[in-house]
Amino acid sequence: MFNISKLLDEIKSSPYREIIVAAPHTGKIAFAGVEIGARVHGPQGRWKETPGTKLCTLERECNPKPVCAPENGEICQVHRELDGHFVEAGTPLVVLRHMLTRDEVQRIILQKTLYLFPAPERAKYYFTPEADKKIRASDARSVTVHNGMELFIMSRMKREVPLNYTGPDGVIYEVYFKYNKNLDAGSPLVGICPQDHLHIIQNLVMRVQTEWTET
Amino acid sequence: MDNNIEKYLQNLRERLIYLTDIFAGKHGDSAALLEEKLTAFAVRVRSGNCEDVYAELSTVEDLVAYVERRLEKTLTPMDRVRVVRHPQRVCLRDILENVYDNFTEVGGQDEHSLDPSMLIARAIITRRRGKKTYMQSVMVIGQEKGHGAEYRNGGSVKPWGNAKALQYMSVAETEGIPIHAYIFTPGSYPIEDYPGAAQQIARNIYNMAGLRVPVVVVISEGGSGGAEAIGLADRRLMLSHGYYSVISPEGAAAIEGRLKNGERATPELIEHCAANLNILAEDNLKFGYIDRIVQEPPLGARPWHFDFFRSLRQEVIRATDEVVISTRKIPVLRGLALARHRSPESDIDNLYIRWGLSAAAKARLVRRRQQKFLRLSRQAARDRRPFVTKTATAFFDWISKPWVIVKYDFYHKHQRQISTLMEEINNEIDMLKYRLLAPWRKLSRRLPSRTDNKARELTALSSWKEDGRSHRWNYISPRYKIDRTLTCPNSESYGCLDLWGPDLFAEFAGVCSHCGYHFPMEPEWYVNNVFDAGSVFEFNSEIEAGNPLGFPGFSELVARAKEKTGAKSGCMTFEARIDNIKMVVAMLMGTFRGGSVGAAEGYKFVEAAARAAKKRYPFLAYVHGTAGIRIQEGTHGVIQMPRCTVAVRRYIEAGGLYMVLYDTNSFAGPVASFLGCSPYQFAVRSSNIGFAGPGVIKETTGMDIPPKYHRSYRALSRGHIQGIWDRRQIRANIKQALLTIGGRNLYYR
Amino acid sequence: MSDAQPDGILRNHKILVANRGEIAMRIMGACGRLGIPFAAVYTAEDAASGHVSAARGEGGAKSLFRVSSYHDANELMSVADEAGCTAVHPGYGFFAEDFRFARRVTKRDRKMIFIGPSWKIIRELGDKINTKRLARSLGVPTVPGSDRPIYDEMEAERIAKTIFEFQEQQGISHPLVLVKASAGGGGMGIEEVYDPDQFRSVYRRIRNYALRQFKDEGVLIEQRVMNFNHLEVQIVSDRTRMNPVHFGTRNCSIQSTGLQKRIEVAPGFVPEALEYSFDARRVLDDIVAYSLKMARTVGYDNVGTWEWIVTRKGNPYLMEVNTRIQVENGVSARIAQIRGQGGVDLIAEQIRTGLGEPLGYRQEDIGFEGVSIEYRLIAEDPENNFTPWVGRIEGFSWKDAPWLTMLTHVPDRLPYEIPTEFDPNLALAIIYGKDIQEARERGAVFLNSLRLTGRDSAGEPLKSNVAFLKDNTGRILCF
Repeated sequence: MFNISKLLDEIKSSPYREIIVAAPHTGKIAFAGVEIGARVHGPQGRWKETPGTKLCTLERECNPKPVCAPENGEICQVHRELDGHFVEAGTPLVVLRHMLTRDEVQRIILQKTLYLFPAPERAKYYFTPEADKKIRASDARSVTVHNGMELFIMSRMKREVPLNYTGPDGVIYEVYFKYNKNLDAGSPLVGICPQDHLHIIQNLVMRVQTEWTET
Repeated sequence: MDNNIEKYLQNLRERLIYLTDIFAGKHGDSAALLEEKLTAFAVRVRSGNCEDVYAELSTVEDLVAYVERRLEKTLTPMDRVRVVRHPQRVCLRDILENVYDNFTEVGGQDEHSLDPSMLIARAIITRRRGKKTYMQSVMVIGQEKGHGAEYRNGGSVKPWGNAKALQYMSVAETEGIPIHAYIFTPGSYPIEDYPGAAQQIARNIYNMAGLRVPVVVVISEGGSGGAEAIGLADRRLMLSHGYYSVISPEGAAAIEGRLKNGERATPELIEHCAANLNILAEDNLKFGYIDRIVQEPPLGARPWHFDFFRSLRQEVIRATDEVVISTRKIPVLRGLALARHRSPESDIDNLYIRWGLSAAAKARLVRRRQQKFLRLSRQAARDRRPFVTKTATAFFDWISKPWVIVKYDFYHKHQRQISTLMEEINNEIDMLKYRLLAPWRKLSRRLPSRTDNKARELTALSSWKEDGRSHRWNYISPRYKIDRTLTCPNSESYGCLDLWGPDLFAEFAGVCSHCGYHFPMEPEWYVNNVFDAGSVFEFNSEIEAGNPLGFPGFSELVARAKEKTGAKSGCMTFEARIDNIKMVVAMLMGTFRGGSVGAAEGYKFVEAAARAAKKRYPFLAYVHGTAGIRIQEGTHGVIQMPRCTVAVRRYIEAGGLYMVLYDTNSFAGPVASFLGCSPYQFAVRSSNIGFAGPGVIKETTGMDIPPKYHRSYRALSRGHIQGIWDRRQIRANIKQALLTIGGRNLYYR
Repeated sequence: MSDAQPDGILRNHKILVANRGEIAMRIMGACGRLGIPFAAVYTAEDAASGHVSAARGEGGAKSLFRVSSYHDANELMSVADEAGCTAVHPGYGFFAEDFRFARRVTKRDRKMIFIGPSWKIIRELGDKINTKRLARSLGVPTVPGSDRPIYDEMEAERIAKTIFEFQEQQGISHPLVLVKASAGGGGMGIEEVYDPDQFRSVYRRIRNYALRQFKDEGVLIEQRVMNFNHLEVQIVSDRTRMNPVHFGTRNCSIQSTGLQKRIEVAPGFVPEALEYSFDARRVLDDIVAYSLKMARTVGYDNVGTWEWIVTRKGNPYLMEVNTRIQVENGVSARIAQIRGQGGVDLIAEQIRTGLGEPLGYRQEDIGFEGVSIEYRLIAEDPENNFTPWVGRIEGFSWKDAPWLTMLTHVPDRLPYEIPTEFDPNLALAIIYGKDIQEARERGAVFLNSLRLTGRDSAGEPLKSNVAFLKDNTGRILCF
C-alpha cells in the first residue's frame, strides 16, 4: 500500500488547480467588472441551479450570453486586451485559481489507488443498458465487474461497438466519463476497487474527509 | 394566594400580551400603563397587601376591558390580520367544545392525522320545542390552528387534507346532514404532490357547487385558495375581526414591491396593501360576498369569551335554518318562517326546524346556491355594452330558450333514433348486394386488366387536394423580423445550438428544432393558427377590466395593459371552428397583466360557459397564461374561483364537454378552481402548471424546490393533467380530443 | 493562375468556405484560380487537417477562424461578418442542402450570397414527395407507386395490389412493395412487403409508427426496385435560370453497406465498350433530357445532380435531386470539354455562376472524351463490415501519373491523426483513360502503387479499403 500521508502533503503543498475559462464559441467579448485577485464562485444551490459569477459576456449574432465561472476560485489572469474584440472559439479569456475541494482531493487520491480501466480510443462511452440500469437505480458501487465482462459501449464515427472490461474483479468505485462527451484514448473510464480492498479505500476516504480543510 | 387569583392574573397577563402583540408596538403607552397596574396589583396580591382581592381584581379587569374597548376603534386592517393569526385566538376545537353540544372527531386525532391542520368532526346540536328535545347532527369541517401548535401547520392545509375534507363532505351528503365549515387558514400549503394543492382545491370547489345538503361557512381567516377549498356555501358568515382576502398582505406586498427571492417587504408596504385590499368583514358584507357578520368581543374572540360562543351558536343554527327554510316551495310559508328566524329576539335553541330535505328541496337548494354565486361581483366589472345591445341579448336569450329546448332536447333525441334505424336498413341492403354480386366479382377478378391502365395509375400524377404537410402558419409572431439568435434554455443539457429568430418565430412556431422546447408565443398566434381561418367570432369584448377597489396606482397599470395588448380584459371569449367543429373558447391571455383573473375576466368566462351551454357547443378554456387571481381586485377577484366553477359545473351537468389547455405558465387561483376542475386538462409542452411559484413556496414553507418543479411533464406524472401536446399539433389534437371525448355528437351526452 | 484578377461580377467578393477536408481545399483552390479571396473555418479537433494548412498558406488576413463546430450556422455567420465575406460556399454535407441555412444567408440583415441554388429551389427539391409530384407533372418517369401520402387503408391496399400485379405483368419473379412513412427519412419507418396478404398488417404498423413518431399517419407505397443501376446527371445553370446545361452522366452503382458510394464512373454507360440488355444510349439521352426539362421548369440556378435508378430492363426512374455539388463531381469534369478545352472545374463554375456570372457557353459547346473512374479511399475496415477506424497515418504515397488526380486533405506533413468526429473519407483518386479498359488498367496500376501505413489506436497496423477496391474493380459496370 502506498503512502497516503505523503500524497496528501504533496497535494497540500500546492492545493490549487488552474482553470482556463475559454470562449465557448466565436463572438464579441465584453468583460464584466472582474479584476485579478477577485473571488468568484461556481454554480450554487442544492441543484446547482444558480449559475456562477459572471465573468464576461460573449455576443454572437445579437445574442449576448454570459460566461460564468465553473468553480469557486480566485481570478489570476484576465485577457483584458480582448475586451470589445472578436474572439475565436476556444480563446482563453480568464484564468481561475481553484482551491481543491475535499471531493476533488479524494478523487485525485482515488485515481492513484484504484485500478483504472483506460479508454482504448478517442470516442464517446456509455455503459451497457444492464449496467446503466443498475447504476441509475442505486449507484455505481452496486455493480461488480469481472475480467472479460461486456461493460461499455464505445461510440465513434456514428458507429457503436461493445467494449469488454479487462482487469481485476471488483466493484466500480468511480466513473470518469460523462454522457455524450468525447474521451481521449488512454484516459480512465472507471476506477475499480477489488472487493477485499474496499475497507482500505473507505479508510482513505475517511482520512481525506477529516484531514483536508476547505477554505 | 389562592390559585384562583393566580389564574385570573395569568389571564390578564395573557390579555396584555395579546394586546401588545396585535398592535405590534403601536399604543405602547396604553400597554405600559396596563403593565404597570398589573404588576403593581400582582405584587400586592403576592405580598398579601390586598384588602379585597376580588374587588381590586375587577377594577384591574375593568381597566383592561376599557383599554381593549378603546383600542378596538383604532384597529387597522393589518392589526386584524395579526388578531386572526394570534395563538390566543379562538380555534376550531374551542368552537367544537363551546358551540356544539357534543362531538366526535373523525378523520384523525390531534397530531395523528393525515393532515392535522384539517379537522373534521361529527357534532350534535340539541334543540327544544316545548318539552321535546331534538338532536341535530352536523358535519363540522375546518382548519385547525391549535393555538400555535407546530404540527397544525398554522391551518395551512396540505392537498391530502383538502381531499379528506372532500371525502367527509360527501359522507355528509350521503347522510343528509348539514355541513358547517370553519375557515381558519392563511392559505393552502402550496405543494404539488398528489393530489396537488391546486387540483384538489378545484375538485373541492367543483363538488361543493353541487352538494345536496345545506352548507354554512364561518370565516375567521380566509386566505384565498385555502379558504375556497371549503368555502362555497349557502350562507357565508364572517367573524367581525376576521379577514377574507385574495392573498396575505405580505404576499401582496411582495408582488407590489416586485421583490426578488430573499427580499422582505417593508412593514409600511404590507400595511398599505392590507389597507387597500378591502379584506375586512364590513367590506365583504358590502360587496355581498358574505351574508352576515358575527360580532366578536373587543380586539377579537379568545377562548374565554363564552358570550361570543353563544352568539356564534345562535348564528350558525339560524343560518342553517334559513337555508333549509329557503328551499321550501310555498313562498308565503317561506317568508313567514324566515321573518320569524331573522327577528333578533327569537331564541334559536327553542325553535326546531328539521334539517333533512326532500329530493326536490335538495335540487332547489343546489340551484339557489349556484345562482347566488353566479350573481356575485357583476358590479365589479365594467360592462361597456350599450344598453340596447344588452336588452337585445337578454330578449333574444328569452325567446330562443324554448326553441333551443325543442331543437336539442326533443328533435335531436328523436332524430338519432331515426338515423339509427336508417343505418340498420342500409347495412342490410349492402349485405344483400354483396351476396348477389359475389359470383360476378369472382368472375371479374380472373379477367386480366390491361397493363397500361396499371402503369398509368402507378406512374401518373395523382390528384391531391390538401397539402397537409406543407402547412403554412396563418399568423407568425412579429418577432420574426428581428435578425438575432436566441439560446434555448435547454441548451446546457441537450446541446441545442442557438436558434435564428426569423426561423424560430416563423417556420418553427417558436419550438426549438433540436430539443422541442417551446418558446412562448403571442395569444394571436393561437387564435389564428389553431382555429379555421376567419371562423373566430369574438363576443363580449366590451366587458372591461377596471379597478373596483380603487387600488392606488392600479388604474394606470390596467390602462397600460389595455393599450399594450389592444384588449379590454385578460380574457378573450370567442366562438370558433376547427374543421367545421364549432366551439366556444375562453382564452386567458398571459400578456394582459400576466393573465390574472379579475371580475371582468370571470364575468366573461361565466358568460362564455352559458353561451356554450345554450348553443350546445363544446367549451374550451385555452390558458395562454395566468398568474392567478388579480390581487388588486381583492375579494372581487377571489370570488371568481367559486363563481366560474359553478358556471363550469352547470355547463358540464347540462351535458357539455369542457376541456382545458394550459400553455406557458398557469398558476394559483384559476388552476385551483375553474380550470383544475375539468376532467380533461391538457398542457402544451414546456408549460408550467402549479399552485404557487417557487418564491412563494420558499416563503411559506421554507422548502427549496428543485428546478422544473412545475413543468408540465411533472404535472403529468403527478396525475394533474391528461396529456402534453406539441404546439404545432394543437389543432389536430383538439380535433382528435373533441371527436373522441365528445363522441359522435361531440358535445352532448 | 493564382494571380488572376477577378473581373466583372466576381470583383469585391469574398467567400466563406463553410466546410472542411477535401472539398474545402477544392473550393479554396477554385477561389485561388478565380482570384477571389476567401475565409476558412476549422475546429479544434480538425486543426491538423490539410485544409487548415492550405488556408494558412494561401489566404491573407482574416482568412482562418477556429469555430466550435462546423454544424453551427451561428458560428459561420459570425465568422463571415468578422471576415467581411459576401458569399458562402457550403461544399457538400453540413449545410449544402439546408434551405434554412441558404435562406438565412440571403435574408439576414447583412445579406450574403449562398453559392448554390436559391433556397426555395432547395426546399422544393429537398422534399422527395414534392420532387416526385413535380416529375410526374412533367411526364418524367418515377418509381411506380403513390406520389402523395396515403391516409386511407382501402386506398393503400388498392395501390399495393396494383403494384404487385404490375410487377407480375412485368415478369418480376419476386414482386416487392415498399411501405414507408411519408414524414420519415433516413431509413426509419420503412418496410418491405413480399406477400400481398401481409400488406395490411405492415401498413398498419407503419401507419401507427408514423403517427407516434411524426404525428402524421400518411404513408407512401412504392414498388421496391431491385438490381438497378444508380445513374446521375450533372446539371449546371446560372442565375438567369434560362439555359441549364448538363455535364454528362455518372454511374455510382458500386456501393458498400449503408449505401455509401465507393466507385463512380463517367459516363454513366459505355455503350461502345460494354454490352447491355437495353438501348443504353437511349436511356442516357432520356435521363439527360428529362433532367434538363425539370431544371428548366423549376428555374434551377446553380449546379445540381439528378439521381436516377435504371432497372435491368432499362426503365429509368427519377429518385431524387441533390441540390449541391457532389463528391464525385470530379469524374464528370475530368471527361468534359468546353469548346474543346479540358480542365473543367465544376466547383469554379459553381462559384462563378453562384456569384451571378452568366454561364458563357451552351450545350453545343460541351463535349466529352474518354472514361473516368473515381475511387474513394475511406478509413474503414473492409473485413469488418466497413467499420470506420481511427488512428494515425504514418505514410501515404502513390505514384503520380498524368492520368491521375488525387484529392486529399491528409496533410503532407505526417503523421496525421484521423479525427473521430467526421466522415472517414481520406482521399479521392480520379483516373482517366481513353476508354473503359484503359481506365481500369490504370486504376489497377494506381492501386498497386498506393502505400498507406500507420497504426490504429489499438496499435494494429492499418488495413485499408484498397483491398476491397481491387477486388471489386472487375465488377465495375457488370450488372
